[in-house]
Amino acid sequence: MSDFLFNHLLDDAHQCPIIVNGVACQVPEQLSVAAALLYLGHLANRQHPVSGELRGSYCHAGFCFECLVAIDGQANKRACLTQITPNMSINTALAGVN
Amino acid sequence: MAQIYDYLVIGAGPAGMAAAIETSNAGLSVLVLDQASSAGGQIYRNLGHADKQQTSVLGSNYGAGKPLLECFMAANCDYQSSVQVWHIETHTKGFLVAAIVAGETKSFLTSHLLLAHGAMERPMAITGWHKPGVLTAGAGQILLKSSALMPKEVVLVGSGPLLLLLAQQYRVAGVAIKAILDTTPKSNYWYAIPWLVAGLTNPMELFKGLWLTLVQRIKIPYISGVSHLEVMGDEQVSGVKYTVSDRVYNIDCKLVMLHQGIIAQTQMAQMLRCAMVWNERQQCWQIKADVMGYTSIPGVQVAGDGGSIGGALLAQIEGRVAGMGRVFNTPVVSPWHKKWVYSWLRFRVKQLRWARGLVDRLYRPAEWLSKPADQTIVCRCEQVNAKTIRSIVNSGCAGVNQLKRFTRAGMGACQGRQCGLNLSHLVAQTQQRPMAEVEPLSVRPPLSPINLGQLAKSLRL
Ligand code: FES
Repeated sequence: MSDFLFNHLLDDAHQCPIIVNGVACQVPEQLSVAAALLYLGHLANRQHPVSGELRGSYCHAGFCFECLVAIDGQANKRACLTQITPNMSINTALAGVN
Repeated sequence: MAQIYDYLVIGAGPAGMAAAIETSNAGLSVLVLDQASSAGGQIYRNLGHADKQQTSVLGSNYGAGKPLLECFMAANCDYQSSVQVWHIETHTKGFLVAAIVAGETKSFLTSHLLLAHGAMERPMAITGWHKPGVLTAGAGQILLKSSALMPKEVVLVGSGPLLLLLAQQYRVAGVAIKAILDTTPKSNYWYAIPWLVAGLTNPMELFKGLWLTLVQRIKIPYISGVSHLEVMGDEQVSGVKYTVSDRVYNIDCKLVMLHQGIIAQTQMAQMLRCAMVWNERQQCWQIKADVMGYTSIPGVQVAGDGGSIGGALLAQIEGRVAGMGRVFNTPVVSPWHKKWVYSWLRFRVKQLRWARGLVDRLYRPAEWLSKPADQTIVCRCEQVNAKTIRSIVNSGCAGVNQLKRFTRAGMGACQGRQCGLNLSHLVAQTQQRPMAEVEPLSVRPPLSPINLGQLAKSLRL
């Protein structure tokens, strides 16, 4: 699942440390959590509670609620509406990851 | 006792900013609540902090928001960013707006309310649109504006000015656009011809639009007349299947961005029980309002794309008109020339709305897109497909709101934002009734999720 499908436009962007599923990573600062997940290659961030199918962020504008993840221990936060902060801990809701 | 504002504006896009400037300059106490982390709305998103490189990729229309943004930041009004409004209700003092600000619940009182929350993208329910790797074109633009992030390789699918604009921006930024699959029905071009007269009243925009369309067609593999789209892949996207003139094609890709125009957001107004109307030209429900933005509920106005879709310039003028309307409602004495400006701006609103008819007709969504295939998931949140919906409607279900109780479609976390319109289309088609006769999905509190702790705290004003 870890295809790097996105690029950052600025080469010299400052980096910000975050923790995704327990793994320390560096991403350019000023990303939303949903953007950071895409940047790191996580297209999917949760499993649908009914079908178990994988789902990923879709609208990035707060409308679709597909981007729900746990941020600093708080479950079901919309990743697209949250900006990353240094050492923020993000947990996707995928079986076998958490 | 909480302060009672004279004017509470929801949304800090062009409409909200213009209204706030107008009213606060007249001396009213104004509060602006905005969902984003910085002012600007979707069009000028992150403009205040955008890097030079970003601004050059995003183009001149993006940078054009600077003066308005600066004027707004200097205005004497209260402004709160990153606010989630979760409830609005009428109150003895006017209106009560309940919101979550930095994780805490807060309530605000106001005598007058302006809904300037903007629009959202028209949901494009094609088979496989729920797979990871499918985003909207709007999402693509947001990623570029706020996060300076762009895909390495992408397929753009759908119809509408935003799709072409994104193509242009991606091209400048060096993204490999594998193809644009254009779903605009060919007949739209014929139907749009009479509207050229309307478009000509706004020649600059018309010219820019034509140019944008032409350039993409020349520089990017551009496939028009596309239908029967399907996103392929098991766990995530592996390609797109489409039909052109009865021949089926496949294109491999891992990222797809969909778009078929934008529609007004009506949730907040519906919560206040404002009257709604079906707009045949824009193919969406709208909040019923007059030129000054007054809705059917006294004290509630709407401005910008959240009312009638018209773009940034129109939104800004509508915001100003709404703000002026509010000022004239107070004992504040306005300078004599304001009345003239007011009349002129109201005329501009009517003119620009008419001019928009060209875009509306040219990019009217293809009819087949409102008739999802049986296996297509229509309600993403509750995973309900078109077949289930059709069969329930066929067995006698009266309308969308009853459908919601039978199937859970529209009951999920997104509150029907992604399925509401398509549910109504399916009901209208199955019952063979016009859309105007079918009700929109009703809205229930909370407008956005709130946890129990926050709810408990919100009871104190
Ligand atoms: S991606 Fe749609 S709500 Fe976050």
